[in-house]
Amino acid sequence: MADAKALAQERTQLFHDIIDGRIPKRVPVFVGFPVEFAIQYAGKDLVEAQWDTSQLEEIFDKVCRDFYSDLLPVNAFRFPSFYRILGARNFVMGSNGFLQHPEVEGLLQEEYDDFIANPYNCIIEKILPRLYTELDTDASTKALTLAKAFKAFQDEMGNAIMIYGKLTEKYGYGDTNFFAGFTEAPLDFVADQLRGFKGISTDMRRVPDKVEAAAEAATPLMIKAGLHPIPPSKYNATFIPLHMAPFMRTSDFERFYWPSFKKLVEALAEAGHPSHLFVEQDWMRYLDYLYELPENTVMRFEYGDPKLVKEKLGQKHIISGFYPISLLKTGTKQQCIDKARELIDILAPGGRYYFDFDKAPVTLDSVNVENTRAVLEFVATNANY
Amino acid sequence: MNKKEQLLIKHVEQLNEEEVLKLSDELLKEGMAPLRLLDLVNEGMNRVGKLYESKDYYIADLIMAGLIFKQVLELDKMTAHFRVKHNNKIGKVVLGTVTGDIHDIGKDIFRGMLEANCFEVVDLGVDVPKEVFLKKCEEYQPDILGLSGVLTNTVDTMKEIVDVFKETGVRDKVKIIVGGNHLTKEVCRFIGADNFANDASSGVRICKKWMDGINESERRVIDNG
Repeated sequence: MADAKALAQERTQLFHDIIDGRIPKRVPVFVGFPVEFAIQYAGKDLVEAQWDTSQLEEIFDKVCRDFYSDLLPVNAFRFPSFYRILGARNFVMGSNGFLQHPEVEGLLQEEYDDFIANPYNCIIEKILPRLYTELDTDASTKALTLAKAFKAFQDEMGNAIMIYGKLTEKYGYGDTNFFAGFTEAPLDFVADQLRGFKGISTDMRRVPDKVEAAAEAATPLMIKAGLHPIPPSKYNATFIPLHMAPFMRTSDFERFYWPSFKKLVEALAEAGHPSHLFVEQDWMRYLDYLYELPENTVMRFEYGDPKLVKEKLGQKHIISGFYPISLLKTGTKQQCIDKARELIDILAPGGRYYFDFDKAPVTLDSVNVENTRAVLEFVATNANY
Repeated sequence: MNKKEQLLIKHVEQLNEEEVLKLSDELLKEGMAPLRLLDLVNEGMNRVGKLYESKDYYIADLIMAGLIFKQVLELDKMTAHFRVKHNNKIGKVVLGTVTGDIHDIGKDIFRGMLEANCFEVVDLGVDVPKEVFLKKCEEYQPDILGLSGVLTNTVDTMKEIVDVFKETGVRDKVKIIVGGNHLTKEVCRFIGADNFANDASSGVRICKKWMDGINESERRVIDNG
């Protein structure tokens, strides 16, 4: 246990160093394996284990035991129980037991004005009953259903958080949390939950003023959602997975996406909460915008040019990602390790970098396990400053 | 090409939905042949495709373009014409999102662009099991099978589908293209598909090239026969 404590201190120091602008002893490693991956890795049934979460500790433990990471490498954002109680249309299970987000329309195009005038009321009155079919009922049944769902949510999350605590202690993970809170860029919220990808794409042409106003109207709610209950600290960040921007024209991004998103990240930073962005897809044409965000915004990139990112953002922000998990599936062990070395050579100089994959492997067969372990071991033991 | 025709192409290119529909309706009423109108709209769509390739347009624009195209096809005079004439198709594609994956955006864009390029498309929807792909290919005898996926684990699922075509001895009867942002040349080889695409427009380009080859060799057979 003393060893684990010492290890945790050392690992915490690595992350504090990159956030405080010091060069750490070595490149810190923080990878995340979603619950679906962990369940399959532990040899459990995907559907059963998501419903019966009493096996979760054993499941997560196996991932922690076998895959190197300096911070807790497991997490579960969603469980089917509360979505099922709500009759959710926005998160449903595929035939393979994998919870996914299908295209949904929580708000009709002709209802934009209602949302813009009072987003909160519109969410309660119109959007929730549409996204959650069990809330499309009389007021008292609705209240009971919502109470039941929240009970299930609290139970599941409480259990998960307790397990996180135990595993953090057991394996000596560092005390830095890049998933301390969760929110969305305002336009992503309007797209993902209200209008759908196809809906927002056509709205930007058909009713541009309303799209702009809706993103603006959603901003205070997104700020509120991102202010997590963990006391403000520069070492705990709110997670914001970015979605729509790379699929839009630059001029549309400038008008519909960027202003409200910037406002969100700045408001969180002012309240003492840094943001951890999953920079999905390719954002290379937006790097100058990302530069404008408050110092020490954590940015994990999926695709793009690591050299350019290091050059443009590496002095101000915390960079991560880029390692292609597709290579873990198809490459030889040596190719996989060479790729890690190549990325570290580009991204590590000067600090402000931790190692992570370009995206989380959603299921066990997304990667070759041996390659994955080899790469993590390689980085943990060879990436010294 | 007269001014109105040029204007129509320009409106399609610039995704001016209302203007496209208004002008299309007007041109049809003035007696333009539906096939001619389709050619003009297709030219506009090609320009949209070029703007996409030059990175002036993005996926959101392709979705809008697809919707405009669909609406033109749904104009009364267009449906009346194309209901009776099916002989202008250049190839048949069976398309679906593979087992376990319920995403449909990429597949739908691909479908729209295939249709805009005169392909007949049989869309099997999302979360489609390998048995269904096999059965529907037997039923429809397509030139091309398109497998779509977003989730990273669809690589194995796509391989299983290709494998089942191999096992049943029908693999060489159909060209297989896999589509998804996570696919690479290496992954495509692993799956055993004939080619892959990270976006709809490159996928359509591959399919058209294949059809050029197939139609050319068929013509040769007919000529020689």
